[in-house]
Amino acid sequence: MIQKQNSPIQRGWLRRNALPLLLFAFLVLFPFIVGAITDSSPYGVVRGDRMIMRGESVRWQSVLIEAYILIILAMSYNLLFGFTGVISFGHALFFGTSGYVLGLMLEYTAIDTTLALFVGAALGIVLCGVLALVIGFVTLRLKGVYFAIFTLAVAEMFYIFFSRWQLTRAEDGFAITELPAWLDPSQSRINFYYLSLAAVILTFVFIRRLVNSPSGAVFKAIRENEDRAQSMGYNTLNYKLLSIMFAGMLAGVAGLLQVILNKKVGPELLGVSYTVDPLLMTIIGGIGTFTGPVIGAGGLHFLDVFLRDAQINLGGVVIDIANIWALLLGVIFILAVIVFPFGIVGTWQRWQARRHRHPEKPLPDAAAGQD
Amino acid sequence: MRSQRTSLIAIFVILIFLLGVALINSNSLGDFGITLLSGLFQGMLLFLVAAGMSIVFGLMDVLNMAQGSYFMVGAYVAFDVQHTGGLIDLTNIIPDPNFRFVVAVLAAVLVGAAFGYVLERFLLRSLYSRPIFQLVLTFGVSLVALELVKFIWTTTPYSWTELFGVRESFFELFGQRFSTYRLFVVGMGIALIVAIGLLLQRSRIGIIIRAGVEDREMVQALGIHVRSVFTLVFTLGCAIAAFGGAVAAPFLGASTTLGSGFLLQAIAVVVLGGMGSYAGTAVGSVLVGLAIAVAQDTAIGTSFAALPSITPMLLLVLVLLVRPSGLFGNSR
Repeated sequence: MIQKQNSPIQRGWLRRNALPLLLFAFLVLFPFIVGAITDSSPYGVVRGDRMIMRGESVRWQSVLIEAYILIILAMSYNLLFGFTGVISFGHALFFGTSGYVLGLMLEYTAIDTTLALFVGAALGIVLCGVLALVIGFVTLRLKGVYFAIFTLAVAEMFYIFFSRWQLTRAEDGFAITELPAWLDPSQSRINFYYLSLAAVILTFVFIRRLVNSPSGAVFKAIRENEDRAQSMGYNTLNYKLLSIMFAGMLAGVAGLLQVILNKKVGPELLGVSYTVDPLLMTIIGGIGTFTGPVIGAGGLHFLDVFLRDAQINLGGVVIDIANIWALLLGVIFILAVIVFPFGIVGTWQRWQARRHRHPEKPLPDAAAGQD
Repeated sequence: MRSQRTSLIAIFVILIFLLGVALINSNSLGDFGITLLSGLFQGMLLFLVAAGMSIVFGLMDVLNMAQGSYFMVGAYVAFDVQHTGGLIDLTNIIPDPNFRFVVAVLAAVLVGAAFGYVLERFLLRSLYSRPIFQLVLTFGVSLVALELVKFIWTTTPYSWTELFGVRESFFELFGQRFSTYRLFVVGMGIALIVAIGLLLQRSRIGIIIRAGVEDREMVQALGIHVRSVFTLVFTLGCAIAAFGGAVAAPFLGASTTLGSGFLLQAIAVVVLGGMGSYAGTAVGSVLVGLAIAVAQDTAIGTSFAALPSITPMLLLVLVLLVRPSGLFGNSR
């Protein structure tokens, strides 16, 4: 590459990846670290012959699992929006669909629980992929705005359908009662913690491999200028379909994890917040970057957790942050779109690039317009 | 010309189908009339939301995802002005409910226009070099509008309680009581369709708008400041949507679900009629309105209660599958 050979960054794989490796080690040891600090067991409390999920370590594990789920969702959104330039207003569609498939499989079929879990998970992910392909096939030959509209409409249709469907107990949703003990977050949360962590890392590695592959190069070409990519002989429709299919399936994975964590399936899984959150997290973190959605999703989730109980005192009027959280997010959203379009990571990268002045390396232009 | 003929045939077939289903569902001519009137009422409300959306899309290539929110805000403002309590209490200043309703509608239109102006002038204008972000921005604005409404008026839906003249009067036809107010809204909607059509066809600003839909750069090259035309059209579109919310409020009340519901229905209308086509929007809103009314009739007494809310989305999906450029759209 163009970097100088004696650059300290080039010395050895271990050294180059020191930061991610340290972070990985910290996250693996996290339940035990919190357990040691707060003097609580990472496995929960023994009560009779079963474990009760109580204590700081277990509580923080679920906070992190929630963050992991949002990170996967944001990364899948970024694959579509950030790397391929296709915008979806119905990402919750995939999130909720796989959740419902898994829930229906576990609760409404008579097959063995472990088998139902695997079949449900596989079926959910496959269905998300198929759904994404169908929607993509119908709309992607048209202007970009049609895909956005269509995903919004289908997501809303599913939302209305599932909030009225009596079999899945309409708006209340239904609880998941049958889960294998080794996965059940209310019996052995630490196992589920490591599963979610593995899912995040696999998703990250997968998206990196995909985007850095020749197909990924075409994705980025489509984002920058689809007409040009087409005139170079690429069938851009196929590549966009590929990107949408993977994004849908990864969002489906996030939905599966969410259902297992909350042990509940309801129409809120298909609600607009699971579309808005990844969109916002991707923009804040930095669209078209690998670490952007991770930082955006993790950061916003922790802000949410810490600020949930906080209050602001405005001239004697006390306002709970929890009540205006969505409003705050919306305002941040608008401001980010207008004045901070590259997000945290994108701005950092541009700043770095400008400082080092690599004339061969153009500025990452993720926010370039695309028709 | 050929494609225009197939469009006309398609409109005809859909109309016959909808009217046929309505006839089968109804027991008497009065029932049929009620379905028809409620369909036209829905259609006119949809037109008020979709008109601005369609013209703005044609002219500026921006799909305003916040258009439904203007409808919702219009409904809330009109409700607030008309009733006691709330932010603005005019019951003592203007005791006559009829006159107060006129003031309420005017207030809603003004608020809609003001917010529309702010959105275009201060937010959208900075993003014309990044079209995909304009879409994202209007989506964000719709969320902020929803949260602001929740913050100001809470999430509890309001139903209209204040009575006033035309809202409460009925007329009888074929042994059925029809609400005069619905007829009044339908009449006003038709008047607006004609008025905006005339504005587009006959006035100087209409010529500029139509030319801008065809070729933006050319209009600019002729020395016309297209950006200020954008602002004007966008503001007008938002004001019309707020007007729709205000006149719908006596029937639908004010609730937080109005925004997203009418947004999706309006999108269905705009896609059905053909993006950017004014005639298409007018025809599309009548068709979608009728379809919703017929679906409401069909769903009564069956277990499929979700049908009326799904109908516009089903229509949208169908149109996109069969003829993505819409009835009057030119395929791009």
